[in-house]
Amino acid sequence: MNWNPTRSVWAAAFLVALCTLPNIAMAQTDNQQTENQSSFVQKVIDGAQPKMVKVFGAGAARVEGFATGILVSNDGKVLTSQGVFLDGKQVRVVLADGSAHQATVLKRDRESQLALLKIQAQTPDYFELSPEPVGKKGDWVVALCNAFKVADKAEPISATLGIISLRTTIEARLTVRDVAYKGELVLIDAITSNPGAAGGAVLTADGKLVGVVGKIINSSETNTRLNYAVPSRILADFLEGKTATVVDAAPVKNAQAADLGLVIFKFGGRSNPAYVDRVIRGSPAATAKVKTDDMIVSIGGDKIGTVKEYTEALKTLRPDEEVLMIVKRGVELVRIRITPRVKE
Amino acid sequence: MNLLFKPKMTLLVVLGGSALAMFSVSVMAQDSVQSKQGNGKPEPVASKGDLLQAMNLTSRAFRAAANRVQPALVTIESYGGVSAVQGRIGGIRGQGEGNTTGLMISPDGYILTSTFNFIQQPPVITVITSDGERRFAKLLGRDETRKVCLLKIDGVSDMPVPELVDEGDVVVGQWAVSVGVGYGDTSPALSMGIISAKNRVGGRAIQTDANISPANYGGPLIDIKGRVLGLCVPMNPQSQAIGAGVEWYDSGIGFAIPVAGKQKLIERLKSGEKILPAFVGIQYSPNPDGQGLVIAKVVDDSPAGDAGLAEKDILLAFDGEEVNDGLGLRQMLNRYESGQKVKLVVRRSKTDEEDEIEMTLGSPPKPKGEQEQLELPKIH
Repeated sequence: MNWNPTRSVWAAAFLVALCTLPNIAMAQTDNQQTENQSSFVQKVIDGAQPKMVKVFGAGAARVEGFATGILVSNDGKVLTSQGVFLDGKQVRVVLADGSAHQATVLKRDRESQLALLKIQAQTPDYFELSPEPVGKKGDWVVALCNAFKVADKAEPISATLGIISLRTTIEARLTVRDVAYKGELVLIDAITSNPGAAGGAVLTADGKLVGVVGKIINSSETNTRLNYAVPSRILADFLEGKTATVVDAAPVKNAQAADLGLVIFKFGGRSNPAYVDRVIRGSPAATAKVKTDDMIVSIGGDKIGTVKEYTEALKTLRPDEEVLMIVKRGVELVRIRITPRVKE
Repeated sequence: MNLLFKPKMTLLVVLGGSALAMFSVSVMAQDSVQSKQGNGKPEPVASKGDLLQAMNLTSRAFRAAANRVQPALVTIESYGGVSAVQGRIGGIRGQGEGNTTGLMISPDGYILTSTFNFIQQPPVITVITSDGERRFAKLLGRDETRKVCLLKIDGVSDMPVPELVDEGDVVVGQWAVSVGVGYGDTSPALSMGIISAKNRVGGRAIQTDANISPANYGGPLIDIKGRVLGLCVPMNPQSQAIGAGVEWYDSGIGFAIPVAGKQKLIERLKSGEKILPAFVGIQYSPNPDGQGLVIAKVVDDSPAGDAGLAEKDILLAFDGEEVNDGLGLRQMLNRYESGQKVKLVVRRSKTDEEDEIEMTLGSPPKPKGEQEQLELPKIH
């Protein structure tokens, strides 16, 4: 489906909305309000624009050479999205007044997909990064992003309105080759999953920074693009040089593989549920009274939808550490405590 | 490239002040922060000019509404099924790996959800109800014209059910919040919007600009009080493919199927009925000489063939309505289902006479290359 990318039209419509909203609202409620009283959204946007930058780097095949960024210090530090566009000969940062500055890349983080740039300029307006979560589910948010580089030079960056859909931890990846992002996200329902939007600001109705818009990623849960912000806490950690993201659960240190003593049915051509074909005599599964034809529903709280997921789950188990396994037996769901043994 | 735009700001333009006043009232009713004026009406919050406070109260209302419907939400888990080829099944974008959403509609365990959630034909389905219990679920009937289907869990008698809103009481422009658990968190994700239109897709759906996607297909679209306006489904009025409409996910064009007053439909689904879209079986072109559609080809073994339609006949009317273009015919067909009888008026090419004929609508043949329904593994 083709949507006509006329973001600027919406930016214009938004400005109209800004001018109109308080007037209509006030007319409904209290006629004593003056016409020049600005709405909260207008305040948020006006307050944020001087802290927003446009970032231009090197484009490559199918990768856009631009992004959005936010100022995070008074001496020209810019937080933006990490990407190959920063690998070119020059990276140019355009401030809200339209002035262009050569930027150097101070650091980048592969996990959180963030980069910190520095320009030689005084930047008195900048965002404070809260170490505490900003914004709750259902709260209104304004996203400021230069998607499709609609705004140029001193033009203000496009604003979109939405709410926080969910604060969650999610596993998602850009492409199959990319490192999976596994961390805290703030999902929003304003559409930000467009080229160039990454590095944009997501703000609450009172102008606090919820986080920055992340790169375009696809959720493996839903097979859809996510609209989200990387929360301010992770940004603050990145700036202070701490581990930027919540990393995967601690890897199994002693590399001894675990075994349950189960043989799973194999079918061709389908992704199949994990049905037990055979229980090996004397194995943990036999001790725990797992039966042939049981279907494994979950192990250690993780759903086992397919044989592949069973194989994956097995790798996360440790010998001698009991886990709860749920199996479907007939139409009953049976809870089984099972203690894996060392794989021989 | 799939470019997604969602001009949420239009909401503000459209709703303006009346909406602000409206939600203030709703919010106050929700959160019991109501103050009374002399006439007994709640005082509009925005009267102090504090729009920020009013907006914060709307957010509280969104949360309160979601909390009200949450006990009736179920998380659906599927096990196995047809493998997606590069994320696609039958030519459309397939399901993700995550869980999907359903809505409990009766205390004895009937759950309404979307057919999209079973596009991979999983042989085994479980649901987690709001009490945290996981139960084995049976898939009963499905209505492919509405993209909804019914699940049943046994051994329950006091499941929480949501309050439903009659379609007649739904107003274009009112708040709508989509709710779903597809992102995998125990708490559902919310997206807000308005009701964009009613009587869409053959009168079967209401339209919203709240984000509708695999994250909430099968979940409810609720009003500001947490009452169910409809069930979120993928839909595209121009296509009958099972996953059609998913290409419009999160676009600002979303659909929901009203649930209130659908007892007849629910009974049909309980009995395991499969309701299929209507199919005539003709290819056509506009009539250059005037009214109607010129039949270019009659599909073999189709209702059109059975009813005696022939090439070059001109289809003038479909069940009492004039036919003038293909899109119009497509939209008329959306109001019908397979098996229904309709009257057609055709001008015969051989005799140049008008004939009225009766036809029993069929169901679309499987698209070319589509696999036949696979035999489920014989293991129980």
